[in-house]
Amino acid sequence: MAMTEGANRYLPDYSSHPVQHHFSPYSDNGGSIVSIAGDDFVVIGSDTRLSSGFSIHTREQSKLFQVSNSTVLGSTGCWCDTLTLTRLVEARMKMYEHSHNKVMSTPAIAQMLSTMMYYKRFFPYYVSNVLAGLDTEGKGCVFSYDPIGHFSRSDYRAGGSAGALLQPLLDNQIGLKNQEGVTAAPIPLKRAVAILKDVFISAAERDIYTGDGIEIKIITKDGVRTESFGLRKD
Amino acid sequence: MASERYSFSLTTFSPSGKLVQIEYALAAVEAGARSVGIKASNGVVIATEKVPKSILVDEHSVHRVEEVSKHIGMVYSGMGPDYRLLVKTARKKAQQYSLVYQEEIPTAQLVQRVASVMQEYTQSGGVRPFGVSLLICGWDNNRPYLFQCDPSGAYFAWKATAMGKNYINGKTFLEKRYNEDLELEDAVHTAILTLKEGFEGQITADNIEVGICDASGFRRLDPNSVKDYLANIP
Amino acid sequence: MSILTYNGGAIVAMKGDNCVAIASDLRFGVQAQTLALDFEKVFPMGPHLYLGLPGLATDTLTVRDRLKFRLNLYELRESRKIHPKTFSALVSNMLYERRFGPYFVEPVIAGLDPVTFEPYVCNMDLIGCINEPEDFVVAGSCTEQLYGMCEALWEPNLKPDDLFETCSQAIVNAFDRDAVSGWGAIVHIIEKDKITSRKIKTRMD
Repeated sequence: MAMTEGANRYLPDYSSHPVQHHFSPYSDNGGSIVSIAGDDFVVIGSDTRLSSGFSIHTREQSKLFQVSNSTVLGSTGCWCDTLTLTRLVEARMKMYEHSHNKVMSTPAIAQMLSTMMYYKRFFPYYVSNVLAGLDTEGKGCVFSYDPIGHFSRSDYRAGGSAGALLQPLLDNQIGLKNQEGVTAAPIPLKRAVAILKDVFISAAERDIYTGDGIEIKIITKDGVRTESFGLRKD
Repeated sequence: MASERYSFSLTTFSPSGKLVQIEYALAAVEAGARSVGIKASNGVVIATEKVPKSILVDEHSVHRVEEVSKHIGMVYSGMGPDYRLLVKTARKKAQQYSLVYQEEIPTAQLVQRVASVMQEYTQSGGVRPFGVSLLICGWDNNRPYLFQCDPSGAYFAWKATAMGKNYINGKTFLEKRYNEDLELEDAVHTAILTLKEGFEGQITADNIEVGICDASGFRRLDPNSVKDYLANIP
Repeated sequence: MSILTYNGGAIVAMKGDNCVAIASDLRFGVQAQTLALDFEKVFPMGPHLYLGLPGLATDTLTVRDRLKFRLNLYELRESRKIHPKTFSALVSNMLYERRFGPYFVEPVIAGLDPVTFEPYVCNMDLIGCINEPEDFVVAGSCTEQLYGMCEALWEPNLKPDDLFETCSQAIVNAFDRDAVSGWGAIVHIIEKDKITSRKIKTRMD
């Protein structure tokens, strides 16, 4: 601070001009999600690290939200937005249940989530969403979103901080892209879980925002089963 | 600048095609103190006499054998001040090389670069040739190197050689003594014997200087080690 | 917009069992517009030495030429072949000379030592900070994708044929998820007494 000299004493100089301070409404708390759909199941996994910058808030925060018996929402990015969004989704699903007297189907939740995201088109939820569940016919389905509500259905998807690292790997291993002499066959549950673990191990090697552990939710017609798996913690 | 317009090289051809300045420089070398270098199978030695002008001189205050880089050293016959400039230049060339290539300069490269500096001083304006011949020894590529560098910028590789006062006698002595599978210890011995041949007065550890170079690098022998070698000489 | 992704491009190099692989994509474009499909970004700098220069295309060519200039002088002066490690020091030194006005390239070097035939790979940033890992290096506009692929596919001591397959799968699947690189690839496998260069057909969109 500028100092002025007066009678041999140094006093702080009060400035008169305005100083602008900034508030940033978003933070990036990292985390990755991978989801793979099969014929009659879907698996979704997220890492359990919650961080900001170079510091780790916790090593055991799942980013998966079971919103119904056949649907799980994975959400990473700005953690406060994730919390707000998932609570709103759950509330809206309750309202749906009360007015329609049935549980929302996965595609219906997917559409609603898009609408809710777009509703905040000019002050978006800063999150990367992957919605996994069984559709009305019992087939596995995966929906992925951009922050303002664009979404698409696919058989597999990686999202979050290591999304770019993992997506091409899924293209290759599950989408069988750039592979010769292979015929597309429905992926068995065991293989889906194995691939999911493998890709998270790879992601944890290079992405500092992904690590510590993974939580996997396996959704079948019998409901949702949870598994966990350790990752490197550095 | 007017002075630049008239600054021509002092080294100019005589009508017979000789550069007498270079011949004068060689005369300065031949008037200088003797130095020898011998290549052995497992290293290389350089040695020189250093007879003080007066008994009052502290003979340990100046060195004629100098380290240039970890595995290169040199010695001279001729004019001391000119030598020190070349030592400074050689050390700088060695460091420049390491800076660019992140590896030690090969002896042959250093000799080439020092020689090209010496050549520049035979053709540039306002300067005179160096009044020294250098013996540069080194170890790289798993073998020893020994080079002589003259004021003209010419350089030669030797198995063994002598320079300075009565160098012809020194060379004749070496021709008789040298053989291909000499070991470093014997080479040091032979080098000292060569200096002893025609030495004016008593040879002591204080009036000669010895440098050796092998796989472990270059080092100047301290007077105590030289004394041990002298003890084996009748 | 980053200058480093203005023209697009992807490069990967991997160590194998007594061999190394280096691959690049073939696209040359200006932002979203593709202009050529035969723009190789990997150049031979010696019998067992390859240099990849992804980044701003004009700098790719300039740096390649200026390095060839320095390399030719080195080999004439010292009458010996350069070691890959020495060459990377040379590249690093040249880039750092432009510390405050850099060439926009992120070099990748792959080669075998001319004496021991030890595999060597390294990469560096645009001002020459060297990274010498023992597995693989990546550079260009889809490094995240490449890291994801390589981290999963690479394993130690791959034989030349397996290394080729690993390297090709890594780069092809990686740049298929990048809009500014792809449009074909070229893979060089460097062995002691054989160099195999193969162009790979890929999706062209």
